[in-house]
Amino acid sequence: MTIFHFFNCAILTFGPHAVYYSATPLSEYDTLGTSIKAALVYLGTALVKLVCLATFLKVSETDYFDPYQELLKALIGFIDVAGLYFALTQLTHRNISQNHKFQAVGLGWAFADSVLHRLAPLWVGARGLEFTWDYILQGLEANANLVLSISLAALGSLMWLRKNKPKTLIPIIYACAGIVATMPSTTSYLRRGLGWQLPKVVGFELFTSLVMAFISWQLFAACQRPSS
Amino acid sequence: MAQKQPHDGEILESMYSMLALVFILVACVELCDAATVVDVYRLIQYDISGVPFGSRLASLNHHAGSLHFSPGADLSRTVVMIPVRELNISFVKDYISQKQPLGGLLFLLPEMFRLENEGGGGSSSDVQEKQLIKNVLLELERLLIHAKMPYPVYFAFENDEIDSVLNDVKKNDVTGQPATATTGGYKLVVSTSEAKKVASPTITNIQGWLQGLKAEGDVNQLPTIAIVASYDTFGAAPALSVGSDSNGSGVVALLEIARLFSRLYSNPKTRGSYNLLFGLTSGGPYNYNGTHKWLRSFDQRLRESIDYAICLNSIGSWNDELWIHVSKPPENAYIKHIFEGISSVAEELGFKVGLKHKKINISNSRVAWEHEQFSRLRVTAATLSELSVAPELLESTGGLLDSRHFVDETAIVRSVKLVAESLARHIYGYQGKSINIFADDSSLAVNPSYIRSWLDLLSQTPRVAPFLSKNDPFIMALKKELADHTDEVNVQHEVLDGMFTFYDSVRGRLNIYQVASVTFDLLLLLALGSYLIVLFSFLVITTRGLDDLISLFRRPPSRKVKTA
Repeated sequence: MTIFHFFNCAILTFGPHAVYYSATPLSEYDTLGTSIKAALVYLGTALVKLVCLATFLKVSETDYFDPYQELLKALIGFIDVAGLYFALTQLTHRNISQNHKFQAVGLGWAFADSVLHRLAPLWVGARGLEFTWDYILQGLEANANLVLSISLAALGSLMWLRKNKPKTLIPIIYACAGIVATMPSTTSYLRRGLGWQLPKVVGFELFTSLVMAFISWQLFAACQRPSS
Repeated sequence: MAQKQPHDGEILESMYSMLALVFILVACVELCDAATVVDVYRLIQYDISGVPFGSRLASLNHHAGSLHFSPGADLSRTVVMIPVRELNISFVKDYISQKQPLGGLLFLLPEMFRLENEGGGGSSSDVQEKQLIKNVLLELERLLIHAKMPYPVYFAFENDEIDSVLNDVKKNDVTGQPATATTGGYKLVVSTSEAKKVASPTITNIQGWLQGLKAEGDVNQLPTIAIVASYDTFGAAPALSVGSDSNGSGVVALLEIARLFSRLYSNPKTRGSYNLLFGLTSGGPYNYNGTHKWLRSFDQRLRESIDYAICLNSIGSWNDELWIHVSKPPENAYIKHIFEGISSVAEELGFKVGLKHKKINISNSRVAWEHEQFSRLRVTAATLSELSVAPELLESTGGLLDSRHFVDETAIVRSVKLVAESLARHIYGYQGKSINIFADDSSLAVNPSYIRSWLDLLSQTPRVAPFLSKNDPFIMALKKELADHTDEVNVQHEVLDGMFTFYDSVRGRLNIYQVASVTFDLLLLLALGSYLIVLFSFLVITTRGLDDLISLFRRPPSRKVKTA
């Protein structure tokens, strides 16, 4: 029964990644290699982030929201953006179209994040006899994270790879990218600064991720139009 | 090679430590995932000459239920949680007498019985409630000790977490959903191995001597007066059997009397011409088996030198009447002497002492009072107790309800005064004279704080003999205390013989898990499956178009048509 629950939570956490890969043209163009490379870049980035966090951050004993520490954490969070930049621009894997590249990178990125942050707690926790909603919420969070990662990758590819984009859209693209990149800090603020409960935070994440995905989709489509 | 081998050993050793570390980590992970963990105390499991009694199982893993179950429900996979406050004794009686299957029983004792919880007192309603609980517990304990239950029975203390669990369980039961795998609820788990027999349980007697002063040129042995109290207990839950009254009060009184006389005997001028023998005996609930062994170990001359023995038993909760129990007829000169000595002191102190005579029956193995073991060896002895009739086997032995709350230290102080004063008058030959040796404000006054501190210690120490090891800290503490007050202390270890067999695992940790039902997981799986299908369709439609999605489903049959 508890293995069953673990299985359910694992489906919720990792299923959407697989579905995304198989449902979109990614699978037809065999972009798995790009995703794996992106995942490896994510691993490297996470390592660098950890080192930075350990170096610059004090260990907080309390759950108190410290603005200075959080600002520092947000700055360190931008290492993610650098990693994504590296993955999008430096990785060349065959002649993959820009359209698929950002999706593959975003997918690999989100999958690596899920494995790294959610697999171990899931394995340890969801198999126990005790039932909590935490692991289901965590699975939903993974879904939101997938959408956000792909949105960020899409915005990144717009910023760094596309040359002829409408001038008027550039500030909007940068603003959106900024919002998406600071999402981890925002949720951390909501959870600890405002004391939101986990269900509320996850709901917020899902909502914003969908909104950001829609906006970035529109932006992407808008940038595509003049070229096509 | 010779050099290499230790090297290998080192590597192996480091491997072992690594492995141990990993196991500890895994164990931590396994232990920490319960919502609530509480200490539980198992009902005693024992055999009397091969006939099993008590709870026969130790490990527990079932859903929680309450007394509000629907009639006729199958409880064979349910642990019924019963708060003693609202215990319906007839339910338990029915279930035990009809041998109905149960997953287990968990009795919740009121918080005030917790061992660390001291300090009685309270409002009048409290007193009433205490009395009510006392009666219920008395009946429950008698019932449980003499019954055989083929399922685990545990005791736990009420606290906020358990109360909230119980409320949830009750709510579920009232709505008519029995706690099973299909409706979720709570699961109670005590993971222990099966209880094993306690191999050759030991009982430990402690004796201390205060030597009297021999007159010069006297070759005869000095007469001896023995003061004896048994210190071990027996109760429904061995880990909760502290026996504050039976017989913690007797032990405390004995220690205080030893302290008073050690002060008198330390000065040659006030040293009496009697030897004083203090005996703390074990095995009290089992027909005073320890006392029997202890007396047998004496040599004949010593036994004959005992003038008389006073046994102290349950003297901590009486108001104005104590009893002296003897096995020789009251007309006997020695008995008369002892009784008159004690009752005259009692009169001065303002209460009554009654005399009860109960003949001993050598052919009957039951020994109801400690002095009967002396009487069987023709030593004059009497038991001072608040109980007016002899208790049955395994009763009044310091069980569940015999806690600190029901013991009055002033009663013990008065008992100590009574015994010490009458002893002193006997020793110094002041009998019949109204002289106060242990006056309240003198240097020889009874010390209430000493009594209180020992009583508190005893009220926190479960003392069921089979579960007390030879070198238990408590036994060491008793020995040290007696050694402080007497000249010579001996500890005697004996094997408890007779018909009793005991089983271990007297306490455990209860994990309470809130579990989801299989139905919930099935529904969740369905929801997730449809979510993924919808997501898949949505993605296919947005990226490749609706036709693609439809063709995905159409392709297989079309192939079949081709091959056909």
